[in-house]
Amino acid sequence: MTGMLAEGALLVTERGDQVEVVELLGSGGQGEVYRVRTADGGQAALKWYYPACATAEQQGIVQGLVARDFEDDRFLWPLAFVPAVADAGPGFGYLMELRPDRFRGLPALFRRQLRTSTVALLTACLQTVEAYQALHSRGIAYRDISWGNLFFDPANGDILVCDNDNAVVEGDASGIGGTMEFMAPELVRGDPGARPGTQSDLHSLSVLLFMVLMNHHPLKGRLELAIHCLDEAAERQLYGRQPVFMFDPVDSSNRPDPVEQGAVAHAWEAFPQSLRALFVHNFTVGLRDPSARVRESQWRDALRAVLDAVVECAGCGRQNATEPSATGPGACWGCGRTLVLPPRLVVITPPPRSERRILLRRGARLQQHHLVAEPARHDYGDRTLVAELVEHPSRPGRFGLLNRSDSAWTGLRTDGTTQQIAPGQTVPLRAGLELDLGPAWALVVAP
Amino acid sequence: MSAGPWQLVGGSVQGPGKPSNQDAFDAGGSGGSGSPVILAVADGHGSAAHPRSAVGARIAVRQFVRLVGELMDTARSVELPEATLLRRLMSSAQHDLPRRLAAEWRREVLDHWQRQPGEAAGPEERLLLYGTTLLGAVLTPQLFAAWQLGDGELTVVDDDGSVSQPLAPERARLGDETESLGEAHAWRSVRVHWAPIVAPGRGPRLVALSTDGLSKSFAEPDGITRFVGGLDEHLREQGLEQVRAVLSGWLGEAARHSGDDATLAAAWRNPLGTEQPGRPDESVLEESG
Ligand SMILES: Nc1ncnc2c1ncn2[C@@H]1O[C@H](COP(=O)(O)OP(=O)(O)OP(=O)(O)O)[C@@H](O)[C@H]1O
Ligand SMILES: [Zn+2]
Repeated sequence: MTGMLAEGALLVTERGDQVEVVELLGSGGQGEVYRVRTADGGQAALKWYYPACATAEQQGIVQGLVARDFEDDRFLWPLAFVPAVADAGPGFGYLMELRPDRFRGLPALFRRQLRTSTVALLTACLQTVEAYQALHSRGIAYRDISWGNLFFDPANGDILVCDNDNAVVEGDASGIGGTMEFMAPELVRGDPGARPGTQSDLHSLSVLLFMVLMNHHPLKGRLELAIHCLDEAAERQLYGRQPVFMFDPVDSSNRPDPVEQGAVAHAWEAFPQSLRALFVHNFTVGLRDPSARVRESQWRDALRAVLDAVVECAGCGRQNATEPSATGPGACWGCGRTLVLPPRLVVITPPPRSERRILLRRGARLQQHHLVAEPARHDYGDRTLVAELVEHPSRPGRFGLLNRSDSAWTGLRTDGTTQQIAPGQTVPLRAGLELDLGPAWALVVAP
Repeated sequence: MSAGPWQLVGGSVQGPGKPSNQDAFDAGGSGGSGSPVILAVADGHGSAAHPRSAVGARIAVRQFVRLVGELMDTARSVELPEATLLRRLMSSAQHDLPRRLAAEWRREVLDHWQRQPGEAAGPEERLLLYGTTLLGAVLTPQLFAAWQLGDGELTVVDDDGSVSQPLAPERARLGDETESLGEAHAWRSVRVHWAPIVAPGRGPRLVALSTDGLSKSFAEPDGITRFVGGLDEHLREQGLEQVRAVLSGWLGEAARHSGDDATLAAAWRNPLGTEQPGRPDESVLEESG
């Protein structure tokens, strides 16, 4: 493959560090990405813009982003600006970290090439919402949310937002225009005064979340199937002039086609009402009124509650996202059998007091974020693990909570006796057991 | 429309002892602005389970050519800066085109069934009767992109003479297991090659699409890349007319060795400029048997 930069080409970042081109990793819509060797012997990724994309405006955005020095492990942020050099040709680029292999793109998910789980997908959604929230709270509009930017680890839902070179400070008018599929309707239509910003990001974010969970675009129902050519006018109609949500409760004109789009109808049914309600709101009222779109904090609350309410079907083993507030068990989306709900851990956080309800499914985990009302991040990694549901090593079917934190808990049994549970120790699971977890209280509730 | 730098050659020869040729192909355009080169080959599965695969292959080629043509027309007609256009095209190429192709193929196949009903029961079974692969490519001054579902070879000679197969699957497929437009969710198996051409003369100089009746005719696994390398040499040394004259002989030879229909559609960027743009020689285009 002939790329713009030759193997072995030497470039120098704006800060004066030399990098050497190793190989072309791939071509995108705006440029090529190369693996490069850095002066310290490490490796990095270099994005190099196509001539048509190497505009003064783009250069300004990249240099602004580099100067921002944004430290956040959920983003692959431009780290250094790389100007043109005589023998590497015109243009410019920037350095970023290489994307670790465990992160996979959404096309592989849509094509069913990944092994993943409901929990991992919900986690990826929650992480995505929080990542964009972090940007928006710093006054940065991303403007370019699409399936091309989001990478996730199918094993655990960790995410990495790539291709961050279109983010600008909110209010900056410079135009972008990736795929129409993710653009807010007012931008597709080109309404006077409509600009890409946080409000249009909220639309794109909802489309992205829907696609991660349902593997389908929310506006591509049977109306899209009725179009037989790939043209601009048809797209404007679907995404701008007359967008209709597939599951609009009032307007059924764009329902999924049962044959061609049966999978999305099935996926929709598999998610609980609380989550579906947010999609419905966003893709009905929110399509027409940008200020009524679902905010990140709403997505976050709904997603984390649903994550805490996932259970495994005893019949087929599939993970089921149950309605967090439901009292009855419901049926498995995979095999239709009635689900058996496990006991629940109800956690009461210190003020501002809030309640988190965690279904103690096999392998259930209690994380530090469960113990506070307004956590800055919902991390599901081992470093923030507090407790884990474990099976008794010699008595199968008996479960306990293993203390994975670094401080002791106090347990209060229903008979009034207390027990210390040191780090590494397990307390048998019994209905009515109360736990003083330090900052928060927890109570085991029978199903 | 302007005359472009690409010249086309293509042909298809029926396998010996086969009742009909189940391959289909098309090659058109010059690569000038407004006239993208569009190449496609399809290999109908042929066996008893797919009695209508020759029709399926023709539909696949026709729909691919139509959809890619529309995509390129749309790209040309919208008023967008080039930078934005390429991003949008990439999204359509990777995301929309595979789905749309599969859906339009199914629609036309089911239409055909309506007109000529047979004995199969459900729609799923009907689709399988028409099962086919598809391999297609487009070349414009700015872009080289290709799509593949199932067997066949996309072989590319770059400007520096290096030969590659950018759509070769990562692992060799087992036995006769094949991906097919007749299967449910066929779009999921479509592989896409995306390679914008950043400067004149930086893209490929020869792009060849072939069905496996050609590649299977060689004893060595790299036979097809050597064949295309040789084709490039021939074109440069002897010119297009000479190659057109011998192509059906080569394909006939290949069909005899593989026992299968052998088809090739190729575009060559003549370093000496444009000779006679447009479609390949009709005598070669005709499916000889
Ligand atoms: N940091 C990275 N590490 C490893 N590979 C990368 C990295 N960034 C991009 N790539 C790969 O390089 C190729 C091109 O990247 P990408 O699609 O992001 O380009 P782009 O021009 O920014 O596209 P667009 O802006 O249209 O999304 C892709 O195959 C991508 O997976
Ligand atoms: Zn089940």
